[in-house]
Amino acid sequence: MTSLPEYIRIVEEVFEKFKGKPLLYVGKHSVRWDALAKVTGKALFTADYLKLLRNVVWVHSVRTKYAHAYIKKIDISEAARYPGVLRVITAKDIPGINDVGYVIPDQPLLAHKKVRYIGDIIALVVAEDPYAAREAGEKIYVDYEPLPVYTDVEQIVDVKTLKEKTHTRIHDERDSDIVAHYKIRAGNVEKAMKEADVIIENKYRTPMQEHAYMEPEAAIALPEPDGGITVIASTQCPFDARKAIARVLGLPQNMVRVIVPFIGGGFGGKEDVVNEVGAKAALAAYLTRRPAVVVHTREESIIGHSKRHPAVMWYRHAAKKDGTLLAVEANIVLDTGAYASLGPFVAWRAIVHSTGPYRVYNARVDSIAVYTNNVYSGAFRGFGNPQVHFAVERQMDILAEELKMDPVELRLKNILRVGDRTVHGQLLTEQHGVGLEEALKKAIEAADWYNKRKMYSNQTGLIRKGIGVALLWHGNSIGVEGADYSSVSIIINRDGTITFRTGLTEMGQGSLWGLVLMAAEILGVPPSYFKIEQPDTASAPDSGPTVASRSTVMGGNATIVAAYKLRKRLNEVAARMLECSPDDIEIKAPEVYCRSDPDKKTTWNDVVEQAFWLGVPLQEYGYYRAPPARWDEETGQGEPYITYTFGAVVAEVTVDLETGQIIVDRLVTAYDIGKVINPVGAELHAEGGAIQGMGYAIMEEIIHDKNGHVKNANLSTYYIPTIKDTPEIIPIFVESGYKRGPFGAKGLGEPSVNGIAPAIVNAISHAVGIQFREIPLTPHRIYLEAKKRGLIRL
Amino acid sequence: MGEEYSDMTIKINVNGKDYVVTVKPYERLIDVLRYKLGLTSVKEGCGRGECGACVVIMDGKLVPSCLVPAYRANGSKIITVEGIAPEGKIHAIQKALIDSLSIQCGFCFPGIIIAAKYLLDHNPNPSDEEIKEALEGHLCRCGSYLRFIKAVKLAAKYIREGKIYFDVKEVQSKIFPE
Repeated sequence: MTSLPEYIRIVEEVFEKFKGKPLLYVGKHSVRWDALAKVTGKALFTADYLKLLRNVVWVHSVRTKYAHAYIKKIDISEAARYPGVLRVITAKDIPGINDVGYVIPDQPLLAHKKVRYIGDIIALVVAEDPYAAREAGEKIYVDYEPLPVYTDVEQIVDVKTLKEKTHTRIHDERDSDIVAHYKIRAGNVEKAMKEADVIIENKYRTPMQEHAYMEPEAAIALPEPDGGITVIASTQCPFDARKAIARVLGLPQNMVRVIVPFIGGGFGGKEDVVNEVGAKAALAAYLTRRPAVVVHTREESIIGHSKRHPAVMWYRHAAKKDGTLLAVEANIVLDTGAYASLGPFVAWRAIVHSTGPYRVYNARVDSIAVYTNNVYSGAFRGFGNPQVHFAVERQMDILAEELKMDPVELRLKNILRVGDRTVHGQLLTEQHGVGLEEALKKAIEAADWYNKRKMYSNQTGLIRKGIGVALLWHGNSIGVEGADYSSVSIIINRDGTITFRTGLTEMGQGSLWGLVLMAAEILGVPPSYFKIEQPDTASAPDSGPTVASRSTVMGGNATIVAAYKLRKRLNEVAARMLECSPDDIEIKAPEVYCRSDPDKKTTWNDVVEQAFWLGVPLQEYGYYRAPPARWDEETGQGEPYITYTFGAVVAEVTVDLETGQIIVDRLVTAYDIGKVINPVGAELHAEGGAIQGMGYAIMEEIIHDKNGHVKNANLSTYYIPTIKDTPEIIPIFVESGYKRGPFGAKGLGEPSVNGIAPAIVNAISHAVGIQFREIPLTPHRIYLEAKKRGLIRL
Repeated sequence: MGEEYSDMTIKINVNGKDYVVTVKPYERLIDVLRYKLGLTSVKEGCGRGECGACVVIMDGKLVPSCLVPAYRANGSKIITVEGIAPEGKIHAIQKALIDSLSIQCGFCFPGIIIAAKYLLDHNPNPSDEEIKEALEGHLCRCGSYLRFIKAVKLAAKYIREGKIYFDVKEVQSKIFPE
């Protein structure tokens, strides 16, 4: 056994040292650093930088008219002559590689042979103003050879057999339209099915969900005198964007710089699309040598960026009479649309969590991602988990009904606890922090579960109430998807102030504030001393992407490593100054003193100054890498994630059978996030995730017509929850402590969506007495079902 | 633009200052505010009057500035977030948004702030239902809605107590105690 890397030892030491101790900043309610900038409207988002620029050119994307077609000919001559147009760019003008695919290189920046969905871009028009660019775009003529359009995965594959059907292949450069296939093979499913007292089998459907972040995508590219390009872009992943842009331009990565201003929401949507948006701006700036601007309209945003994968899922659960789960079988089919995007990773996260947070020792699960001609699907908060959680948690309720058990009791009988193994054979120990039972118990207590469940059973009126529960889990960070690391730089300046740099981005979630609270705690310096710099690939260390609920955990660990090393050095400097031992030094900036003799004291600024003259470095780079995950491709056995966030959601609803209207009255969410670092951020995640999950449950669905056009590509036809739809939300947190999380913390960004839709639909099913298997459960669907079953006379 | 058109000169008063601006006939008020006057608190979320992020007060009315052709604003008085408090101060609603710990991405904030100020100008003590009514047209995808209700009530209280403006420096020093 090789010894652990220093950074893991530091994180574990900090966890042990601070466990149960009173803390100054971590875990305290505080106002985040960007509050004033945001309420005064001074915070700059990407497009706002335009007011500081002169001599800009505007880039308009000319998109295809067909969702699936060969391109025979592109005629740009008339557009190129249009007044105000500087340049029309097509695939052949790209100096580097014409591809912006995220996981696999399947996505041209500019289409040249084929179009595969309605957002594919044929050409870029670069003009003096946005109006000329758009109008000239109308003068680009393309000869298409239309092909059959597929908008439903069931046109491509059979969900039961997972066999590809005969069709015109969408990616004819590949040998199959199935992009990824993952498997779990555990125990002996056949034997378990034979021994079962109850077997239930159902097919579920979940919709394509749109991120609908309030800030549409934007990028501004500036040509640099040395031939490089600087891109200001609304991206969650500055280093991924830099890589993609450098590839398109054919430049080395150090000639491309990406700066990330404030981001108006991301939720996973501003991962890969910004490779495209950034590359479009960069290409125009590179070819015209002028600052180039790309700002998507809302419609462009909706048709042109990734979505939550629509899913068709077939599930079979087997159980004993007493409720013990014996086996799970499932096929999970994700529609990844025209391009893989992050689809393969989404299909992988989906299968890892496909049996729910339960003891399941016999399982046969397959998950696949399939191309269609829909808008491509990729990363969206939850990343495959909202889909499988909907199916699994519906299965648990249907099973409970079959067994005449209370849904909470059935779950308590099967949930994962310390000492259990996951379906992948991963042993969950005290170190992982497994607070699922505590979360469930706290949630049902706060929701008054047993009383209400009884009270709402067997109603006969036209307006009915219901209560439902759902459990969730969520593997932290990225697991086997890639190298799982992050990094930060902390620089103490001569005046005692501190510069904090990372490539992790602020998109609303505020996790950078959590990092500062942790650095403040370890250094003994108030958060007001810190300045968080905007992520900039020219100065920040590569921190990995801001995804996968990983900023607090991975960025937090990197922060701890940097802060710990600095603190250690400063303690030594102070010890020399005050003549006591380094372990005896207390820093409570501006004061620094010896704990054993507080009269021996100096100031933070004097220690910093002394360190400078002694040649003690005042800047530190913190790096953390999670121990590598393990995953057997054939059996799905291993240790897919470093740890899991667990949780329980209880929803209460009112359903009007005659109108189909659903009012979500109350959501109680209890999440085990190991340790609450920034309680404000945690509460806001719980609230925001609940609202998004509610939209997913009862309102939201991107609809394509049979030609692959999006029918609801703006905010008046694609409904997201408003202030009037928002229920009472009660956030509860459980702190089980994850030994390799910063101060014991786990992630919450995504898990806060996973359990919402199943809890709400379980509550609706309870209210109405119908087992629903499809979301969004719109008034239309409720009404039709109520009518079909004779519950209403209308 | 193939057809003939001519630029127009308009006069507008924004946040108490007079401006003379040359605009194209198809230019929108939001473009003038953002790019000609540099008032980028005004945000474009949809360009169709559906999200509420670009709302300003124009001649005493709440309007989405993305739906107003610039020439139609000729002669009008406009208020944006930049103009709701004197220099060095913030308005009670801004203070209340900070105090109710509602900050997330902030892209919808300018619209929320203008709509809330407009509500409070007309109704000094709004109920939860009245607040929801006033903010219904303002989308927030991060989900700070419940905090907005708290913030508007808190702002109403501040204003009733005579605290309409707060000193920025003082606010900042209280954000970061010690």
